[in-house]
Amino acid sequence: MVKLPSIHIGKLSLLLAILVWLALLFVDLVRLFGMINEMDSGISDEITWILEILFFFTLYGFYNYSVGKNIQSDFLNLLWRASSTGIFATGVALLTELFYISMGDSKLATEPFLKNFFYHVNFALTTIFLISSALLWKHLILYQKNKQVVKQWQTFEFAMLLAMFFVFFNKNNFDYSFLFAMVILFVITVVLSGNLKWIPYLTFKEKWKSLLFLFFLLICTVYLFRRMLAYSAAEAYQVNLTDNLFLMALFGFIFTYALFSFLVTLFNLPTSSVFEQKLTEAINFQRLSQSIQPDDNEEQVLDILLDSCMSASYADGAWIEISPDGQTEGINQLRFLDEPTKEELSELIKNQKAAVGWASTDRPEMLQPLLIRLDHPRYESTLLVPLVINKVAIGRMVLCKEVRDGFNKEMVNIISTFVRQACISVENHRLLNQAIQNERYQEELKIAQRVQKALLPAQLDHPDQFDICAFSNAADEVGGDYYDTYKVDENRYVLIIGDVSGKGTSAAFHMAQMKGVFQSLIQLDLSPAQFMIRANAALGKCLERNHFITASIFQIDIAERRICHARAGHIPTLRYQAKEAKSEYLFFDGLGLGILRNRQYENHVQEKTFTYEPGDILVLITDGIVEAKNQKGQQFGFERIKSLVEIHHDKTPKEIQNQLIDALHVFVGGDGMIEDDYSMMVVKFQQPTTQTL
Amino acid sequence: MLRLEKSQENEIEILSLYGEVDASNSVILDEAIQEIVASGTKSILIDGKNLDYISSAGLGVFMSYLEDFQDQGISMKICDLAPRVFEVFRILGLDQLIPIFPDRAAAFAV
Repeated sequence: MVKLPSIHIGKLSLLLAILVWLALLFVDLVRLFGMINEMDSGISDEITWILEILFFFTLYGFYNYSVGKNIQSDFLNLLWRASSTGIFATGVALLTELFYISMGDSKLATEPFLKNFFYHVNFALTTIFLISSALLWKHLILYQKNKQVVKQWQTFEFAMLLAMFFVFFNKNNFDYSFLFAMVILFVITVVLSGNLKWIPYLTFKEKWKSLLFLFFLLICTVYLFRRMLAYSAAEAYQVNLTDNLFLMALFGFIFTYALFSFLVTLFNLPTSSVFEQKLTEAINFQRLSQSIQPDDNEEQVLDILLDSCMSASYADGAWIEISPDGQTEGINQLRFLDEPTKEELSELIKNQKAAVGWASTDRPEMLQPLLIRLDHPRYESTLLVPLVINKVAIGRMVLCKEVRDGFNKEMVNIISTFVRQACISVENHRLLNQAIQNERYQEELKIAQRVQKALLPAQLDHPDQFDICAFSNAADEVGGDYYDTYKVDENRYVLIIGDVSGKGTSAAFHMAQMKGVFQSLIQLDLSPAQFMIRANAALGKCLERNHFITASIFQIDIAERRICHARAGHIPTLRYQAKEAKSEYLFFDGLGLGILRNRQYENHVQEKTFTYEPGDILVLITDGIVEAKNQKGQQFGFERIKSLVEIHHDKTPKEIQNQLIDALHVFVGGDGMIEDDYSMMVVKFQQPTTQTL
Repeated sequence: MLRLEKSQENEIEILSLYGEVDASNSVILDEAIQEIVASGTKSILIDGKNLDYISSAGLGVFMSYLEDFQDQGISMKICDLAPRVFEVFRILGLDQLIPIFPDRAAAFAV
């Protein structure tokens, strides 16, 4: 397969245009040769016309491509391209004219072939200028496209196409039909020239530049047009190329649009600052409304706000005061004012009755900006604008001007809008930060919860002689309940249950301390009473003043079937005796840990020793279970636990525990919450029968 | 809910408690006791006639003054506790440290 080289439209059309132009030159020169030698060259005028139209088409093709490619270029660039082409064409035309003037009446000056050559060159350059400019104008006209404008332009293009072929109909005579067509095209041109929407977007400086370019362009157009007329007047050219309706109409179009643009730009000069101002306001508004990123600063928003408001009102000085509220420091931003002047102005504002009433309103969200005249040597008027976030006035913005009554209604309106937007931004920013903070706290609590779960034993040490299970539930994410088991030696085991006063995070920290102290003391193989005395001494040094811990400790000797028990303010343990088939709470004196933080504590702790039989049960609980309340405000109480254990005494510890927890939940009610942490440890000494298994 | 009422009788500052003392309002109780101490009195009676419930956080408030009162020679008594509330004091062992009386008359008599 032969692969066709990709066709470059721009280069191709340019090459074609040059070829067509050369052909045109050749045809005309041949015809001229024939005339001079009084021979009929047999070349009709139509051939020249066809070549001319072809030239127009190829040029149109080239420029349509090259302008379309640079569609991003700005207006000034477009104007410069048009006027520079014009200047070049004019320059060449001027040089030609100069050449002939300098030649005077010499033979060369009357040489018809040379004259014709220059005529063709000037014709080509003028056409290039006109067609390229027309396409640049198209770009400007269609800057703000809508259906109507596009239709207008298409009509114009179609009319111009017809105008190209008009020459066949009219045979290059300047008659009424030509005039009529000209008028129609001119009307379309004028309608099109009303599309000047690009002009307001120029800045003041750009407007001056475009005025200059347009001025050059107009001069060139006028000059080139006069040149054309001069060529037409001279009878030296057999086939007139330039008395063409298409070219004439293009002249009209280029000139009219340039003139309109020039005048509109000129008259737009004084008001261009207003348009620029509005544009800046729109941009400022957009900047304010973009929500601030979480790690950004509120001050940045206030910064933009102050700058935006100052530029919107042409203020000569301004500041923002934020009353310190804990969340933000007292921000104090100054613009074009020094601290003493600000103090002076603040003092003057304070003395104004209106300002005092304004500041002391109890509904800040209804507050309107306040205009005040000041008796200050420099600043004669001020505008106070409240900064209200979430119905709370967080501060105010003060704008000062050196003229009296310097703030008009539009300024106050736009400033109010700016302030509202800025306040919304700040509010959103705060809310977002708060949400992120909360999220983090939640995360931290989850971690705390996980860590605390790990503080409770995963496995409970016990021999075959007793079975044990335990359970703990915190009212909040973390709690202050603790239980543990410890194997002292082959025959001796220790059980502990503890409860920190209060609940939540502070209780959880004390619970961790309690575990540390208990784990250390348990190694020392102390008697239960000694254990409590040491624990009291240790915990007394680290507990907060109004916190205490209650605990129960059981030393079980499986060889002797004996239990030694001490209680430090803890909820009494339920002891079920299988032999008598009844249960009782093990209640005797024992003061909570951390209540007496001196040696007097030793007088307030006792220990009790008792034996156990197989089938006996111990139920260690915390006050969360006893004090759990139902809808009527009744407590779960000791008696319910006792009777439940008596009923279910023949079940396994796990089953007894589940019975108790289920009963507790039923008691509290379906969606009732147990307000305190609650824990439980159930121990059951094995029947001799199960022992043998 | 907790409501406090202060009164004076026989040069004794009486603080009557109504409702429940738990973790959420134990601070109020603490502040009230501090105020009474600040008034310079040497004798405080807590009247628990209308006290329905006291949590461990509430007990913590009484407990936290024990040593201070001992040092400053201030006597604190509690009277008229409902059986259920008295039980809470007793389990913790606070009845060993704070004199608790069945009624006001008994408290005044000592």
